[in-house]
Amino acid sequence: MGKPNDLVQGTLDLLILRTIAPEPMHGWAIAKRIQQISRQVLQVQQGSLYPALHRLEQQGWIRAKWAESETGRQAKFYSLTAAGRRQLEQETENWNRLSAAIDLVIEGA
Amino acid sequence: MRWLDRLRMRLQMLVHRRREGTRLDAELEFHLEQQIAENVAAGMSAEEARYAAMRSFGNSVAMREQVREAWSWNGLDRLGQDIRYATRQLVRAPGFAVTAILTLALGIGANTAIFTLTHALLLSSLPVRDPGQLVRLAMDFHMGTDRSRNEPLNLPLIEMTQQRARSFSGVFAWCVYDFVFRDGDVIQGRRGAIVGGNAFQVLGIHPAAGRLLTPADDQPGGGPDGWAAVISHRLWVEQYHADPGVIGRHIKVTGQGVTIMGVAPAGFEGVLVAEHPDLYLPMEFAAAIGRTEQELHSGAGLWLDAFARLKPGVSRGEAQAEMSTLLPKMLDAVLPPTIRRLPQVQKTTLRVISARSGWSPLRIEYTQPLLLLQLLVGAVLLICCANLSGLFLARASARQQEFAIRGALGAGRRRLMRQMFVESLMLALPGALLGVGLAWLAGPWLLHAVRSNQSEVSLSVAPDPTVLAVTAACACLCALLFGMAPAWVAGHTNLETGLRTGGQRAGGSSAGARRVFIPLQVALSLSLLVVATLLGMTVVRLRTQDTGFRAQNVIFYVADFGRLPQKGADLVTLYRRILARMEEKPGVEAASVVEIMPFYGWIYNDGFTTSADAQHSATKTADVNEIAADYFAAVGTHILEGRDLRNDNADLNSCVVNRSAADLYFPHASPLGQMLHQVSHNLVTGVTTVRDCQIVGVVQDTKYDTLLESSPPIVYRPISKDTPGLPGLFFVLHARSLKEAMAAYHSAIHELAPASPYTDPATLEELMRDSMARQQLLSVLSGFFAVLGLLLSGIGIYGLVAWSVTQRTREIGVRMALGASRTRVFLLVVRQIAVLLAVGIVAGGVGAFFAARAVRAFLYETRAENPGVFIVGAVALLLIGLLAAIMPARRAVSIDPMEALRTE
Repeated sequence: MGKPNDLVQGTLDLLILRTIAPEPMHGWAIAKRIQQISRQVLQVQQGSLYPALHRLEQQGWIRAKWAESETGRQAKFYSLTAAGRRQLEQETENWNRLSAAIDLVIEGA
Repeated sequence: MRWLDRLRMRLQMLVHRRREGTRLDAELEFHLEQQIAENVAAGMSAEEARYAAMRSFGNSVAMREQVREAWSWNGLDRLGQDIRYATRQLVRAPGFAVTAILTLALGIGANTAIFTLTHALLLSSLPVRDPGQLVRLAMDFHMGTDRSRNEPLNLPLIEMTQQRARSFSGVFAWCVYDFVFRDGDVIQGRRGAIVGGNAFQVLGIHPAAGRLLTPADDQPGGGPDGWAAVISHRLWVEQYHADPGVIGRHIKVTGQGVTIMGVAPAGFEGVLVAEHPDLYLPMEFAAAIGRTEQELHSGAGLWLDAFARLKPGVSRGEAQAEMSTLLPKMLDAVLPPTIRRLPQVQKTTLRVISARSGWSPLRIEYTQPLLLLQLLVGAVLLICCANLSGLFLARASARQQEFAIRGALGAGRRRLMRQMFVESLMLALPGALLGVGLAWLAGPWLLHAVRSNQSEVSLSVAPDPTVLAVTAACACLCALLFGMAPAWVAGHTNLETGLRTGGQRAGGSSAGARRVFIPLQVALSLSLLVVATLLGMTVVRLRTQDTGFRAQNVIFYVADFGRLPQKGADLVTLYRRILARMEEKPGVEAASVVEIMPFYGWIYNDGFTTSADAQHSATKTADVNEIAADYFAAVGTHILEGRDLRNDNADLNSCVVNRSAADLYFPHASPLGQMLHQVSHNLVTGVTTVRDCQIVGVVQDTKYDTLLESSPPIVYRPISKDTPGLPGLFFVLHARSLKEAMAAYHSAIHELAPASPYTDPATLEELMRDSMARQQLLSVLSGFFAVLGLLLSGIGIYGLVAWSVTQRTREIGVRMALGASRTRVFLLVVRQIAVLLAVGIVAGGVGAFFAARAVRAFLYETRAENPGVFIVGAVALLLIGLLAAIMPARRAVSIDPMEALRTE
């Protein structure tokens, strides 16, 4: 099981950006969604998630808004900015290239 | 506009720090609650769910830290923390803080004061367009054994340079002049300048009102509307209250009608530093008020300062090369052939010097003294820093427990070191501020010490941005210097021992460091002391030497008889009548005139021979002065043989010589009655004249030009119609009091020459004092710094010993309990210091030796390697050091062993 701490920092960023691309979410939902979609393989710990979220916010890829959550309590929802969307495309492309290259080495060598 | 958003976010984080912190907590709290809810849904009890959730959360403190890391402004945040903490620490130890700040204020203030002077005199740029392009042209040549450097030029040379030299976009002449300014009832003597017509254009400045001078104004007789003048901004404000209506106003300058055409910009003081001209007039104006046209345009004589602006892209080196090739041809055209062929003139060179900061003759005199003072004051600052470093180190070692705790909690080494540097800065900055204030107060006094009677020196010593910036840098450097040692201690605290022992016995390395500072301070103090003593001895020698003059109640006035109708022999008669009248006045003991006032700075010398065939004999040079009767009585020179000169035409062929001249020309016989032949070469006409005189008296040796020279051979001749500068001789009066002398001058002039203006007096005391102004300044300041250094070193030693005693209280208690006598304990404490003192004195001796050699140039009849001075200095330091050590040592002796053992 790949612990998220083994993930390169950039990969976590990519996951977060991709997760919130369709709709704004709060931190808990992001973690749950990643866990869900990856079929329980990737479990993001809070210790990595929140620093990453705040870093992305400082860099301007995502923006935050406080709104009422499904439970009725106030929560901080993150959504992609336009620059964030461009960054997402960029990182997705990088990731594809990287993983394709790794595949080649594994199969070919 | 991403970066704009980012900036906005950063500002938000900065300003609403606390709110963001609360929000972060809320966000994490939310997450925690969701986790708990999930756990409960999975079947755990409420409590279990909570524990499981919090466990999975991990180290929330670390996470919060990490999130905060993502926010910017962390550096600023930490700096703010450090500053607040440092301030609290300092407030809790007010004695230490006050001592440190005062020490720093003295050290930095002294540095600022000297640097202000250095900056004003040597460094500050002229307020003109592109000052970096300005240069000064100066002549260097050899006259016999003297080498003359930095001499000015004359008008024909300047005009020729303007025409022929291609390196300059403009060349202009400048000469300071004293004018008599008269507007209505106001009559004042004012300093001003006569300048070339193109001067202001080349300088590139704009008038505050009206217009500046142009070449059209620089014609004989003035421009189309007569003589035009530009007044200074200061005069405009003082005299005319900045009224723009002053343009076109008619005033009188030295008797000539002049129209004010403009006002110079504020802050412009011409190109000669430390001169404050109030009136600018064109060069041709000089012909209207004293010099003749021929004199003005004469190629002989060097009296005009020449400045030029380099063309863009031309370097000083290139201009210098061009002038070197041009100079021989210019000299050919300008000088008469007899002078041109003189060997001294062959070897003349013209130098192109940077004039970015203008020029001042004061620089020749004061550059080296100021640099010396900077060094001295730097040494004082080092002593200050050493002191503070020791103090700081003691405090730091007492706080080792604190550092250990902080280190254990996770503070990095660099964080702790930074904390100590911030504390140093918190002391250095207020110290610097106070120092600037002190320097500002001391400024006028320093200036007063630099001024001389003849030149009005008014440098601005108001705080200048450059000086303030240098002071701030100095403060930071100091903070760095004396913060280094404690920062090292803070950063390298051994956590374990620090926590356990509580840092009480932190002797070890910090004591070692402190021990290094004491010899350093002692060495520096010894050097300062030796330098100050040598300079002090010089001043004492200068003051007490036999100058050949009696300085009390002797006053000089320059005569200004140029516009009187009497000339030549009639003028001589007038002088004699005035002198006779002066001697009748109450209180006057003697009155006379002299061609060259003592210590004036001019030298008139000529060749004399005793041989009858004067034209073809070798001559020996002596200084010459032309005087009237009673001159020696007036200035207090003793007549050794024969008689004084007499005030009548029968005596015109007599002369008096001084002892050195008598020994020079008549080494084996009495000179009385002998003939001397004065051989004068007129450089302009090429004619050699021989004047004979018969020696009628011998006087004692006196100084001629400066206090620092040895007495030259002097030949005194009576004034006659051929005396150079006859309308401007110097009256000298000796009376029972200065007031009576001044009254006698004024009433005699009023009676017998009422058309001539009154001039300002100079007393012989002032003249002598000005002659040694530099040495005086150096001696006083270096003495002050030496005392300061000694004081600081004493305090440093006291501090070290006191701290050491405190540290070793237990040890001393044990020793005494085991039977050591009080004397032994005393010696134990003192021995440590004595060793350090000895090392310091030896090192200081070496340093002082080199320092003494460096100041050799300023000494007078004092040997720089005088061993007595070193020995006295060493003994003085030893005594002061021991005294400083004995006081806390006595405290050690009086420790009660039981008390000592109980304290921890």
